[in-house]
Amino acid sequence: MATMSTTMGTQAEEPLVRIEHFGMSFGGIDVIRDLSFEIRRGETFGFLGSNGSGKTTTIRALLGIYQPTRGLLHIGGREFSPDHGDSLGYLPEERGLYQKESVIDVMTYFGRLKGLGRATATHWSQNYLERVGIGDKAKVRVDKLSQGQQQKVQLGVTIMNSPEFLILDEPTKGFDPINRRLLMDIIEDQKRHGATVMMVTHQMEEVERLCDRILLLKDGTARAYGSVSQVRSEFGGTRIDVAHDGPVPPDDAYRIVSAEPGHTVLEVANDADTAAILRFLMDAGVAVRRFAPTLMSLDDIFVEVYGTDTAGAKQ
Amino acid sequence: MRRRNALARVVEFEVRRTLSKPRFWLATLLVPGLLIVIFAISVASGTSSQDASDAQSSERFSFEYIDSSGLVDPALAAAAGGIVVTDPQHGIEDVKSGAVVAFFAYPADPTANPIEVYAADEGIFANGKYSSVAGSLLTSSATAEIGSPELSAIARGAVTTHLTTYQDGRIAGGLESVIPPMLYLVLLYIVIILMGNQMLSATVEEKENRVTEMILTTIRATTLLVGKVISLFVIGFVEMLVFAIPIAVGYAFFRDNLSVPDFDLSALEFQARPMIVGALLLVGSFALFTATLVAIGAAMPTVKDAAPFFTGVILTLFVPIYAVSLVVTSPDAPIVQALTFFPYTAPVTALLRNAFGSLPLSVAVIDITMLFALSAVVLRVGVQLFKYGSIEYSRKVSLKGALTMWREAKSQQNKR
Repeated sequence: MATMSTTMGTQAEEPLVRIEHFGMSFGGIDVIRDLSFEIRRGETFGFLGSNGSGKTTTIRALLGIYQPTRGLLHIGGREFSPDHGDSLGYLPEERGLYQKESVIDVMTYFGRLKGLGRATATHWSQNYLERVGIGDKAKVRVDKLSQGQQQKVQLGVTIMNSPEFLILDEPTKGFDPINRRLLMDIIEDQKRHGATVMMVTHQMEEVERLCDRILLLKDGTARAYGSVSQVRSEFGGTRIDVAHDGPVPPDDAYRIVSAEPGHTVLEVANDADTAAILRFLMDAGVAVRRFAPTLMSLDDIFVEVYGTDTAGAKQ
Repeated sequence: MRRRNALARVVEFEVRRTLSKPRFWLATLLVPGLLIVIFAISVASGTSSQDASDAQSSERFSFEYIDSSGLVDPALAAAAGGIVVTDPQHGIEDVKSGAVVAFFAYPADPTANPIEVYAADEGIFANGKYSSVAGSLLTSSATAEIGSPELSAIARGAVTTHLTTYQDGRIAGGLESVIPPMLYLVLLYIVIILMGNQMLSATVEEKENRVTEMILTTIRATTLLVGKVISLFVIGFVEMLVFAIPIAVGYAFFRDNLSVPDFDLSALEFQARPMIVGALLLVGSFALFTATLVAIGAAMPTVKDAAPFFTGVILTLFVPIYAVSLVVTSPDAPIVQALTFFPYTAPVTALLRNAFGSLPLSVAVIDITMLFALSAVVLRVGVQLFKYGSIEYSRKVSLKGALTMWREAKSQQNKR
């Protein structure tokens, strides 16, 4: 297999992916306006956005399937070419395999296209199928498998060359919770072995579990970009769950997100003095039974960023 | 090196999976299988019908006859069981009453009028014996009258000629020199008809199965399409072999039973120029049709959507057949010239003219160059259609749109 130094650049300090002022138009309509970001080597990068926000377009342009209208998109210091495909694993949003062939034949074929020998590809495939619980399906035609089983095969095809860079476009779409966990384990394995992962997902718990940094794409630009904690700080600040007797008075120190009899959710800036707020409430005659400050979840941030255009965005 | 390996792996995968499918062999063996069945039936029925015919002509039964021609030998007629009568009505009445089995009325001029045969009905097939006996009696009488079997054969026109013609002072090829290069045309038809659908679906499959994105990030679109074209060549060769075997076996071992003319294969003339030109035309034509059908497949979301275009391309193969007599007899006619230089009618027209020796070398060079060059262009367009249109999973790709994207991409690359 090709090594990182030969296929994806040589400078360890260089980001693996560099996108600068990327723009993409279809029929005069700007889908991506001006997008710039980097993915560092070894990190798991969450590429987030509502449906139609341009995530898949960006990935396709990064991989040379679409030609960008403007800007620079580099992997390992240069534009991607299938000639460097040995070090890439790509699980596209549109899934599919050769339906009339056996599972093992399809996996071996892709393995060989990615530079593996026949025996290695077959052996790896058989082991992988065992691991994901469909070892007995190796000789079964792909179209005889369930959708979930086909997804497992496709993920196997994606990672079988131990890629240095994995792009996963909604990898757990259509999986039940058990198989989703299995997939997450496999992705974490890849990460442990040094793979850089770019992941598109609408599952915020996956982002919280796996991602080091994220980018929220909205209207063709980066709405938020940074580490998960940075984005949390930038966006939501802190929420305080208050159980109480008596009305919570309005104040400039907080924003009342929801108010029900005996239960109010407040939102405050991250650097707010929560102890002072508690004292203020008690001084105002509120009998506080519980006072629990928590950082805003990514789920909340997602809803806040995309507001009403999230219809259908979250599975 | 990686690209070459990938190409080899695409070819291997495509060929292996096609040849390992029972459906492929079923379809491929269907035609030769049918041929074998027809051969077998022909052999069986050929033998039995010949036997029956022989038996019928020598069958003996009682009959009466009247001879207005004076050509029937009374001795031969009597030996065959015939009694001469003078009144035709009498003969017919005897048949009706069952006194005799048949009555023949020979006309004054048997070459101008038919022999009237009246007989007891014995069924459609058995009734044939009456005409056989009536005819053979007249033939035998005529042969006896001539007195020489050779003269009799010559009188029947059973003579052969051997033609030798000269061109530029050298013996020119006749039919024997037309047949070998004509086989290229037969091969072209067989391969395109047998493989047309396979060519069309070669690239549609990736789109229908949503495999395109994974493929395009693993190998170049050109590698995939060229690999598919090469594998189609290999599969086409296998199909040609499978198709040719029963014909060769039938010709070699059952020629007589199948009433195939006993053509002396050693008389075939394999002239260098038409054979080389024919081979190049065949490969160029196959390449053009393959590239075109692959490109159509690349632009269409499903095989069903591609079908009308497929029909259009295939029809161009048959258009020159409507002008075949002109192609053979008047190669300079404007329509023949047009068919010779229009890329999709050129294969059949040029192969026909090449076989009949009316394709000048300069025109052959132009046609061959045109076919190969256009194949490369069409394949290149096919690659672009596949590349830019392949992720338009559910709609047709416009040629204009794909080429515009291509131009824009080139312009972007130049800027960078």
